Amino acid sequence: MQNIADFMSTGHRECDVAFAIAEQAASEKNWSTAEIAFNDFSVNMARHFLMEEDKLFPMLLSAGGPDAPVNVMVMEHAQMNELIDQIAHSLEKKESETYGGLSETLLIMMQQHNLKEEQILYPIADKLLEDQRENLINSLRSCL
Amino acid sequence: MRTVPLSTEQAPPISVPLRFFISTPLFLMLAALALVPVSDNPFTNIHSLALLAATHSITLGFMAMAMLGAMQQILPVVIASPMPASGIISWLTFLPMISGTALLTTGFMLGKPIFLELAWPLLGLAFITFIGSSLFSLVRSPSSNATKTSILLSILALTGTIALGMLLAHAYATGLLLPYEKLAKSHINLSLGGWVLLLVIGVSYQVVPMFQLTPHYPKWLSFSLAPAIFIVLVVNLISLLLEFRPYWVVISLQFTFWLLASSFAVVTLNLQSRRRRRIADATLSFFRLGMISLLCAGITALANVFVPAFDHFDTLSAALFILGFAMSIIIGMLYKIVPFLVWFHLFRGGIKRGVPNMKEIIPEHWMWRHFWLHCCTLLAVLIAPWWDVAAWLVSLGLLLQGMLLGSGLYTAMSVYRITLRCLEES
Repeated sequence: MQNIADFMSTGHRECDVAFAIAEQAASEKNWSTAEIAFNDFSVNMARHFLMEEDKLFPMLLSAGGPDAPVNVMVMEHAQMNELIDQIAHSLEKKESETYGGLSETLLIMMQQHNLKEEQILYPIADKLLEDQRENLINSLRSCL
Repeated sequence: MRTVPLSTEQAPPISVPLRFFISTPLFLMLAALALVPVSDNPFTNIHSLALLAATHSITLGFMAMAMLGAMQQILPVVIASPMPASGIISWLTFLPMISGTALLTTGFMLGKPIFLELAWPLLGLAFITFIGSSLFSLVRSPSSNATKTSILLSILALTGTIALGMLLAHAYATGLLLPYEKLAKSHINLSLGGWVLLLVIGVSYQVVPMFQLTPHYPKWLSFSLAPAIFIVLVVNLISLLLEFRPYWVVISLQFTFWLLASSFAVVTLNLQSRRRRRIADATLSFFRLGMISLLCAGITALANVFVPAFDHFDTLSAALFILGFAMSIIIGMLYKIVPFLVWFHLFRGGIKRGVPNMKEIIPEHWMWRHFWLHCCTLLAVLIAPWWDVAAWLVSLGLLLQGMLLGSGLYTAMSVYRITLRCLEES
């Protein structure tokens, strides 16, 4: 059976694909492709944050999971959302250079965040929520 | 949505890694000074004092300084365990490190043993503090991954490097009779093949996929590579200390070591060629140059074993490893880490608008200029043993690189201070 870490990490990789296409298109000033890919990316990100903040994290906390790392992850979601808003603004204005600088920043922010989740938080969730894993993954799937 | 300030346990204050990073350009410039070919071309003799001075200025003042600063920043992220008491540990490492390296380099440059005698206790203090706090952090870490193993083995290799380095410096300064050649070889093998290579490998497992969106390193490689390299280094150390060095032992150990190191370089280049992020990126180019240099360092090192009669293969191999491999990767990493840290520390304070993005903190064209300058310096090093003019070019290249990197890092620090002040005032 798929575990929580694998399921959630797959979500990260899907966001990465759309992110890379949008960034490449924006650097080439191919704005229509950039817009489609960025839209995919931001929708995927919003859905992923929702899965975590509405389902995974509350269950993890009620199973006795550590609240400090969860709080840090939630705060980083807010920071990434702010960057996504700024990128959307540069896309609207077709500012290739600003897009590139912001996407570089978001990439590092996003990847170090994913690393902490994949290596620390998700394995804790797999351990603490072992009995509820199947139900949780089904419930997370319903967000897709 | 709940928001809390990021725990100081998670990320050290920006001043902690920055004080290490901002000092690195000074030692490139000091190395440039040491290499000025006043009378002889220092590259014609690998044991020349000028080359010893420049090598230690780069390996300690540039490479180790950057690696010590970066470790304090990345340990919380990659192994979920920050170093204890980051403020005190940082000062206890930084001050003796900067003064010890300056004294050691000056001692070699001027041929004055007293400077070496002053340097080794300071460097010992810096590294013992760093090794102790890193081990504390590693032992406390809940993670169990290939990066943690590589970092742990790298720290163990560093322990041996420092012990041998202190002994050699003290013995050299006091004229103590020691088997210098085998101790120096052991010191070099453990420092470059152990501390530097294993740390780069461990960190690459995380940052290569992270920066360029490449596939992850294959599990068979990431779990076995660092332990295999470490075993080869230990066997080599034992054979050196016991003076059991028949030709077949030397060949087998060298060949195995470089085969393992090359497999890392080849896999990294392959992963990077399959990256999802296709845009041009200076850090990627520095990284690729580093990997190609590592492969070339292996070829020249093996050539030195097979064709010992040909002079300068050992100088070339060392130059390719230190300048081509390690220095390229560290410069690339600095250009990624420093702008991100500046942005991160401004942004996490709750400031949203008006924070410059990473490419506004250190402009990308600045990094590309540095990349091409670094390539030219490397080319000059490769011909310096045969052409005296190239020795001048190496010295000039390192001086300019120090100035360029210094300007970039200083600009980033100024952006941080100015933005913070403006935002606080508004």
